Amino acid sequence: MTDPTTTAPAPGDQLSGAPLLAVHDLAITRWPGGPPLVTGLDLELRRGETIALVGESGAGKSLSARAAIKLVPAGLHVTGEVRFQGEDLNRMDEEAVRAVRGGGVAMLLQDPFTILNPLIRTRTHLIETLRSSGRRLSGAEAADEVTRRLAEVGITDASVGDRYPFELSGGMRQRVALACALAKDPALLIADEPTTALDATTQRDVLRLLRSVQQARGMGVLMITHDLRVAFSISDRVYVMYAGGVVERARPEDFLAAPAHPYTVGLIRAEPPTGYRREQLDGIPGQVPAPETVSHQCAFADRCSWATPECTTARPPLLAVTDVHASACRRREEIAGELLADLHAAWEPATVPDPPAGETVLRVAGLRKSYQRDRSTWAVDGIDFTLGSGRNLGIVGESGSGKTTLARCLLGLEEPTEGSIELLGTDVSRYRSLDREQLRRVRGQLQCVFQDPYSSLNRSHSVGFILREALSRRSPEAGPAPSVEELLDRVGLAARYAGRKPVALSGGQRQRVAIARALAIAPKVLLCDEPVAALDVSVQGQVLQVLREVSESGTQLLFITHDLAVVRQMTDDLVVLERGKIVESGRTEAVLDQPSHPYTARLVGAVPTGDAEWLS
Amino acid sequence: MSAIAGQDAIGGGTTARKRRRMPVSVLLAAIFAVLVVGLAIFGPLLAPHDPAAQSLQTGVIGPTSDHLLGTDHLGRDILSRVMAGARDAVIGPAIIAISATVISLVFGIIAGYRGGVVEAVVLRVGDLMYAVPAILVSIVVIGVLGGGYYLAVAVLVLLSVPADTRVVRAAVLSERHLPYIEAGQTLGLSRWRIMTVHILPNVMPTAVAIALLEFVYGLITLSSLSFLGLGAEAGSPEWGRMLADNRTLLAENPNAALAPALLIMATAAAVMLLGDWIYDRVSEESTTRD
Repeated sequence: MTDPTTTAPAPGDQLSGAPLLAVHDLAITRWPGGPPLVTGLDLELRRGETIALVGESGAGKSLSARAAIKLVPAGLHVTGEVRFQGEDLNRMDEEAVRAVRGGGVAMLLQDPFTILNPLIRTRTHLIETLRSSGRRLSGAEAADEVTRRLAEVGITDASVGDRYPFELSGGMRQRVALACALAKDPALLIADEPTTALDATTQRDVLRLLRSVQQARGMGVLMITHDLRVAFSISDRVYVMYAGGVVERARPEDFLAAPAHPYTVGLIRAEPPTGYRREQLDGIPGQVPAPETVSHQCAFADRCSWATPECTTARPPLLAVTDVHASACRRREEIAGELLADLHAAWEPATVPDPPAGETVLRVAGLRKSYQRDRSTWAVDGIDFTLGSGRNLGIVGESGSGKTTLARCLLGLEEPTEGSIELLGTDVSRYRSLDREQLRRVRGQLQCVFQDPYSSLNRSHSVGFILREALSRRSPEAGPAPSVEELLDRVGLAARYAGRKPVALSGGQRQRVAIARALAIAPKVLLCDEPVAALDVSVQGQVLQVLREVSESGTQLLFITHDLAVVRQMTDDLVVLERGKIVESGRTEAVLDQPSHPYTARLVGAVPTGDAEWLS
Repeated sequence: MSAIAGQDAIGGGTTARKRRRMPVSVLLAAIFAVLVVGLAIFGPLLAPHDPAAQSLQTGVIGPTSDHLLGTDHLGRDILSRVMAGARDAVIGPAIIAISATVISLVFGIIAGYRGGVVEAVVLRVGDLMYAVPAILVSIVVIGVLGGGYYLAVAVLVLLSVPADTRVVRAAVLSERHLPYIEAGQTLGLSRWRIMTVHILPNVMPTAVAIALLEFVYGLITLSSLSFLGLGAEAGSPEWGRMLADNRTLLAENPNAALAPALLIMATAAAVMLLGDWIYDRVSEESTTRD
C-alpha cells in the first residue's frame, strides 16, 4: 500500500439525500430459518457514489449484491429490507420488481465473452438493449445512438459495431458490455469483478473508464471485487465481507490510517507489495469457513490472533468506530494500536538479497514456437536467457505473451519449432530424442507447479498415493527419499492430509500438495506457472512463503507470472515478455524500479496502487 | 443486460444434500434389479413347476391356484418359465455390457491418449458402423451363420464397440490435457501407468454409463432377435422367445405373453433408473468441490 494520506477526497461525501439503494438487515438462507449464507447485511449507496464489496471467494459478495436487486438463485430464501430509490422491493410483486430492475439497474459481469452472444454483432447487441427499454428508434437514429454510446465507452473505431464478440479483445468486449449495461441509462450499476479476467494494463483502462462514466452520469456503482487495491482506488466507501457478513466498513483511507478489524489488516498484509520486497510473506493462517458454520460467532475468530473465548459466543454486530467507519470486531478499541503496528510492520522493506550466480543450470537460446503449419505467427519468437544456479528467475508478461508456451517447451509438453534448451548440459529441446536414462535424469532435474490447483491433482487418488507415486520416480542420486509425512511437513500440511482426496482440500492446500509432489524427486529447478493466480489473497502468501523456503533449500525457481508484486517477492532476475519476445531483462529490482522499455513501464504503471490517483 | 449467468456455488450445496437420499423410484428399481438377478441365479430352483414339463392334457388355461399365471399351449407353467427364463434373458445382456465396456475402454483410452494410427482406425471404423443398420445386419449375419443365442451376443458386442469406444475416447480427451496428466508426464511416468492409474479411474463414470446402456440395449435387442427366432432356440424360456411363442395365446391366456413382455420392459427401466443414479453418484464423488 502506498502512503495513505494522498487519497483524494471522496466525491460521495458531498452528496446527501435519500440513498439510491438501501439494504437493511438482509439475510440469505437456504430455506426459511435455515443456516445463513449471508447475515445481517446493511448497505447504503447514494447517488453518484461508488461502493465496493470486497472479500475472498465464499464471502457472499456476489450473492449479497444480487439479493439487493432481488436476483438470487432460485431456492434461496431472502429476508430483510431492500429499498431502491425509496421503494421497498420486497413488497413489490415480481412484475414491478422487474420493471425497476430493467429501468434502474444494470449489471456488468466478469467475463464479457459469456455475456455477449457470440452470434450477434456489437451494433445489434446495443440496439436490442436500447429498444428493449421501449424506445422507438429508426434505423438512422439507432445508428447515431450506437456511435454515441460506443464513444462514451471510449470506442471511436466505427467498425467495432460490425464485429462479433469473438473478434474483439477482452478489454474491448468489456467496453461493449459496459455500453450495453449503460444503454438503459441505469441509476445503479452493479459491477461484479468487471476486470478480473483482464490483463493488468487493460484493467486500468476499463476501471478509469468506469469511473469517468460514473462521474459524468452521477450514477451509483456497486463494485464487487476480491482485489483490495482495486476497491480502494475506485470506491468512496468499502465494505469488507468475510464468510457471509460485513466485518468492516470505511472509506479507503480509514482502513490504512485506523484499521479496526484483524481480518482487513490480515488481508492488506497478505497482498504482496509491488514496490518492495518483504522479509516474510504471511497469509492469514487457516482458511475461510463456510458461512453456515460460523453464524453464531465472530466468523474470523478461528483465524484471529486476538480472539478471546468471548469472540465465539455470539456474532458481533457492526459498530461505529467513527461516523464513517464501522467494525464488527468486539475488541476493536483495545487492539487498535496493535492493529496499526501490525499494518506498519508490513511496510518495512526487507534488504534485497543478491546471491552470486553459480554454474549455468538452464540455457535457452533462440527458442521459437509456432502452432501453425505455415508458421505465420509465433507464440514464442526468439527467446534467449540463462538461469544461473542460486538465483531465481521471473518471467512476466500478459496473456498472449508466450509465457505458458515457453513453460510447456521447457517441460517437453510442446516441442519447440526452433532453438535449443539446455538443462544442466543436456539438450532437452527435443524430449523425444532423449534416451531412457537421459529422460529419467532430466525429469529429476526439472519439475513444475501448475496454475489450476483444482485440476493439477488426480481427483481419483489420495494425497498420499499421489506423493508416493512421485517419490517412486526419485533417482538414487537425489539422496535418501523423504517420507510422505516429511514432504507434507515441508509444505506446511499435517500428516493426516495423506489420507484425503483432493476434493476434501481447499485451493491453497491442493497447491501445497502439488508443490510437495514436485519436490518429491528433489528437482534442481522448479518451474512455477502462475502458482498463486487461482488462490485467494489470504492463502497466496502462505503458498509463496512455502516456495521461498523451497528456493532457500537449494531448488531454484523459474517463476512465470503476470503479477509484478509476486515476482518482486520471489525472484532475483526478471525477464519481460511481450508477444513472444523478450523486451527487457535484468535484476528484478532494477527492472521494476527503473523500467527502460515502454512496455515494462506500462506494466509497472498498471499495477493497482490502492489510491484514487492511480485512476486519474 | 441484467441477465445473470453465474449461479455461484450455491447449486453444489443443495445437490450435495440431495445426493445422500436415494429416491423412491431408484429404491424400487434397485429392489427389482436384485429380484431379477436373484431369479437369474436361483430361478430354476425356485420355480414351482419344472419349466419344461409339458402337460398336453392341461393345454392352455388361465390363472389357477396351481398355475398362478396360467399355462401355455403345451401346458407349461408360465410363472415357472418366466422365473427360469430370467437367466437366459439376463446373461446375454450382461455379457454384452461387460465385454463392450471393457473392449471400448481399452481402445478408447489408447485412441484418446496416444492418438495416431489406433485413433484414426477407431474413428473410421466408428464412422462406418454409424452407417450400418445394426439390427438388420445382425439379422442377416445370424441368419446366415445359423442363429444361436451366443452368436447373437457376439454380433451385438461387435456392433456396440465402435460407438462406445468413441464415447470413452471423448471422455479421455477431456482429461488428457488437464495439468494432473501433464504433471505425471513431467514426473516421467510411463504411458501405461498414466493410462491405467490416472486416466482409467476418471473415465469410470463414463464406463459405468456405457455398461448400463449396453445392458438395456442388449436386453431389448436380444429379446427382439429371439422374438424373430434368431436368438434363443425354440422352446427356451428366454423372455423374448416366450413372447414370440405365446403371442398367439393372447385371447386364451394373455399372461403367457404379457408376463415376459412386462418383465423385459421393467428390467430395462429399472436398470436405466439405477444406472442414472449410479452415474450421478460416481461422477459427483470425484468432482464435487467443497
